[in-house]
Amino acid sequence: MRRRMVIIFLAPAVLLYLFFVLAPAAASFYLSLFQTSGFGETPRWVGFGNYIKLFSDPVFWLSITNMALILTVGGVAIFGLAFLFTILINSGIWGKKLFRALIFMPNVIAVVALSTFWSFIYMPRYGMLSNIFKYIGFDQAAAISWTAPENIIWSMLIGLVWISTGFFTILILAGADKIPTDMYEAARIEGAGPVQMFRMITVPMIWDVIAITMVLWVIEAIKMMEFPFAFGGPTPVQSLLTPSIYLFIMGFGFRQPVYELGYATAIGVCMFLFTVVAVLILTWATRRDRVEF
Amino acid sequence: MRPSTHQRIHRGIAWVILGGWGGFTVFLVLWVIMASLKSTRSLFGKPFEFPSAPAFVNYSKVWVTSHFGEYFLNSLMVVTASVIGLLVVALPAAYVLSRGKFRGRKALLNFFIFGMGIPIPLLFIPLVVMLSEIGLIDSLTGLTLVYLSVSLPFTIYVLQGFFSSLPSDLESAAVIDGCNDWQVFWHVMLPLAAPGAATVAILNFVGLWNEYQISLVLINAQEKRTLSLGIYSLMTSMQYSGGNWPGLFAGVTIVMVPTILIYIFLSDRMISGITMGGVK
Repeated sequence: MRRRMVIIFLAPAVLLYLFFVLAPAAASFYLSLFQTSGFGETPRWVGFGNYIKLFSDPVFWLSITNMALILTVGGVAIFGLAFLFTILINSGIWGKKLFRALIFMPNVIAVVALSTFWSFIYMPRYGMLSNIFKYIGFDQAAAISWTAPENIIWSMLIGLVWISTGFFTILILAGADKIPTDMYEAARIEGAGPVQMFRMITVPMIWDVIAITMVLWVIEAIKMMEFPFAFGGPTPVQSLLTPSIYLFIMGFGFRQPVYELGYATAIGVCMFLFTVVAVLILTWATRRDRVEF
Repeated sequence: MRPSTHQRIHRGIAWVILGGWGGFTVFLVLWVIMASLKSTRSLFGKPFEFPSAPAFVNYSKVWVTSHFGEYFLNSLMVVTASVIGLLVVALPAAYVLSRGKFRGRKALLNFFIFGMGIPIPLLFIPLVVMLSEIGLIDSLTGLTLVYLSVSLPFTIYVLQGFFSSLPSDLESAAVIDGCNDWQVFWHVMLPLAAPGAATVAILNFVGLWNEYQISLVLINAQEKRTLSLGIYSLMTSMQYSGGNWPGLFAGVTIVMVPTILIYIFLSDRMISGITMGGVK
């Protein structure tokens, strides 16, 4: 391959990636050291002022708490379900491909479309859940306000888990499918059940796949915006605030303009640093000699 | 060997759990379509009954009055242009990153993969500032360029893996037959990469069709909204207009039917494309 071709083939991708992804990412580190509304006024240098302000901002900490909740509780639920579905789908039942396709399906529908449906489910008084509870005579349950500030994050999490589980299931399932079937045959002859086989064969054999999927979830959870934002509806509730949503509100405002561009960018930089740290910790925690087969 | 009673019970339970989970998704899609054909009163009064007289007027209203016709065209244009551009840019790059022999190849590949870890919201403000300066803010061209660029890391990663999985003896044969490097790429490798290219095209089409956070930040003018953004603004405006839920569900149906249709026909290919990227 000639040198000229290497350069010509790579140039457009590298330039676009530099210009629209890496340069803005790098610029945000710089921008986060200024106070500016972005409207022609000269940005004022504040050094780490934005970060110092962030650390004493209770709303920022609230968004971090929500993020941690999504990351951990959501993560446990998603991976628990993904493992369960992998065991069930691989237990030799009929319709493996169909179930796999159905479980993944929410991922192909626009998140904002799904959020309208979930809003209708949880709607107070007229919502689907209220209706179902009324119908079966659980009047107390029908009166629960699922979107009240203290409940809304859990209601949102249920929808989020439902959306995300499919993605992680198909990845773990694809890993499990690469394991030679004679290992399972041998285990079955020894009298192992599906759960035992999953724990003793599947998990160790696909450990690196599990590690990668966990990294993907961490990246996803830290930058979470679309579903909670749309789920909050016209008035974003503080209880649903994630760092990304807070960044958006500080940068562009919601109803009232805010335009704290430097401050908003500092939130983004924090998210990026969280991602790096979390991925490093996770890679370290899941490190292990690769099983060859 | 016939399954034992024990096994049968296990499989029965598996079937119920998986069927329930999958069935919920099917129910959701059908319910939304059904709801989009109802009047507000029957949607709230009898949420689980079929509409007695389908109210197609919900669709014409949302298509014309709420401008979903325009949004549909905008989405179609932006997403198609992004996907085509993406293929034009990413295929050669992925090919060189997989087959080229030059120093820093691996580093350059990792440099692209690193992009998958950058949280998109980090780019919001610098992108707005930058695009305003070059006059591409609030324009479909700007949105297309950003869509294309942020999709590069995943696309190059998957395509690079696909090129690496192709046998290399065809290339050597072509070289022996007197093909130059460009001809090898154009006549040999590109046709072989067509299935991989089709897979990433479909995945990106669906992903960008459904995207709304970037468009929310970059697009301001009503006539430039994409479909997902249209749903979002319709939802937000319902606070004032009193809640035309059937109309909202008609909009939701318009945005979700294309991707679901793609999925019905190409689910195997899409799933294998994603797992190809994640599981090596």
